[in-house]
Amino acid sequence: MSDVALVVKQTGYSLKSISRNPRAVVFTVIFPIVMLLLFASIFSKGGDAHTSFQGGQIDTDAYFTAGIIAYAIAMACFSSLAISLTTERESGLLKRFRGTPVPAWTFIAARIVRSIVLVVFQVVALLVIARLAFSVKLSAEGIAEVAVFSVLGTAAMCALGIALTSVTTTPDSAATIAPFGTVLLAFISGVFIPTDQLPDSLVQIGKIFPLSHLASGLQAAFGTGPVHLAGEDVAVIALWGAAGIIVAARTFRWEPHTQS
Amino acid sequence: MAESSGSELAIQVRDLHKAYGDYEAVRGIDLDIAVGEIFGFLGPNGAGKSTTIEILEGYRKRTRGDAWVLGVDPGKPTRQWRERIGLVLQDSQLEPTLTVHETVTMFSDFYPKPRPVDETIELVGLKEKRDARVGTLSGGQRRRADVAVAIVGDPELIFLDEPTTGFDPSARREAWNMIEGLKSLGKTIFLTTHYMDEAQHLADRVAILAAGKIVARGRPEELGGATEQAAVIRFRVPEGVTLEQLREAAQAPVDIAGSEASLQSDDPQPVLYRLLSWADREGRKLEALEVSRPSLEDVFLQLTGGAPQSAQEVAA
Repeated sequence: MSDVALVVKQTGYSLKSISRNPRAVVFTVIFPIVMLLLFASIFSKGGDAHTSFQGGQIDTDAYFTAGIIAYAIAMACFSSLAISLTTERESGLLKRFRGTPVPAWTFIAARIVRSIVLVVFQVVALLVIARLAFSVKLSAEGIAEVAVFSVLGTAAMCALGIALTSVTTTPDSAATIAPFGTVLLAFISGVFIPTDQLPDSLVQIGKIFPLSHLASGLQAAFGTGPVHLAGEDVAVIALWGAAGIIVAARTFRWEPHTQS
Repeated sequence: MAESSGSELAIQVRDLHKAYGDYEAVRGIDLDIAVGEIFGFLGPNGAGKSTTIEILEGYRKRTRGDAWVLGVDPGKPTRQWRERIGLVLQDSQLEPTLTVHETVTMFSDFYPKPRPVDETIELVGLKEKRDARVGTLSGGQRRRADVAVAIVGDPELIFLDEPTTGFDPSARREAWNMIEGLKSLGKTIFLTTHYMDEAQHLADRVAILAAGKIVARGRPEELGGATEQAAVIRFRVPEGVTLEQLREAAQAPVDIAGSEASLQSDDPQPVLYRLLSWADREGRKLEALEVSRPSLEDVFLQLTGGAPQSAQEVAA
């Protein structure tokens, strides 16, 4: 069997295993969808509300759809990878895998591909729900921009999720730090609360991190008028992604900490 | 030096050293393990057992010395080499949400000529649990799943690192049967354990490791009952008999601990004869009379500085 075929098979087992883990299903798949339904219903006031965005106005439903897509990408990549890899490392499974003939990278690759599959599923599901429930529409350019930011965000969030495993020494610490950090940032990144309703200091803090740029890049795709790629958003996400890759490559370990 | 005369070697190690900073965990080990044998590698915690096995498994680099595992340097593990080796690690757990069948199938994909999955599951005695999730299995059953995953690639050499730790006695018996089954398939097995009865039961040969060095090696029965080792005679002290009377009767240095008398002798037959004749003459009964060679456990404790709990040490 070729290594690529092995990655595909591993991805299948990995998806199967995550689908049997209720906590993972709730946090990565169900939670973002519920959040979208909830926030859009609360804030859109019957469908004609607008939120100020980059000097202009954007439909509030579209604003939340884009923000929740960013949140879903962070959960499916950053949080989910950090938790899985930490758990698999500490249980000795990664070490066990490394003792098989298969190149070690295929296991990491399979988990990254799993995150990509989850992102595709989530982005499509959220867009369809937004369209059906809140009549959120995307132009052709908008679709392209959503695709660009989804790819960029997935890459950066996966790198950061793997990098995080260098500080999470137990499955519990990963399952706490990763989702809690994501939720916390979601509050100050224009995901759960529009940035025009937040104090400027919090918005500025949020802008240090990639989630806020992923959210605003995606939100721009839903705006009316000429769509443009926000250079600053791309740059900040790419920088975080590069930092994540460097930390991950330098610190990743296969063996559990709990070993005697 | 060579212990296995003429037969092919699965593992050969010469003057193996491993240092962690200033601490030398392994201090010059030699091993010759023949193809098809079960080799028991024994030692207390911290003796260097895990370090040695992990060097041979290709997980750690040695500091000094030579090692060949199936003719290959384990310091440079290759894919082809890993295809010939099966591992049961000490603390590794399998994915709890996958079933036994899914798990074994997943691992079988890693090898070019795997054994049939269902046959492998049956071989380790998990046929009834084929579709149960690994997370629902008992400790003993999980260890069997580990073994299934280790042998599904049909390896020539299997490392079993403490395969029965935490098992109840009946699960241990079943595991022993399973390991003997692997041997009958012609596999070479490198077994670490801290249960002496396990080594005695399973291993063709053992080596005892203490403080990074091999302090004894040989067949378990030779080590345990070697002729140079004194036999131990034990019996319950008959009522009203003093230590002096017993010593005079046996003409040997009898000792009394509680209600038990014991003595050590290189030549137990005449001592026994004198004791039994004395008892006969006096009309005494030597209850709970027992003659034994020191067990592998006694030898292990002696060599590794374990707690003195055998009668011979009390008597010495």
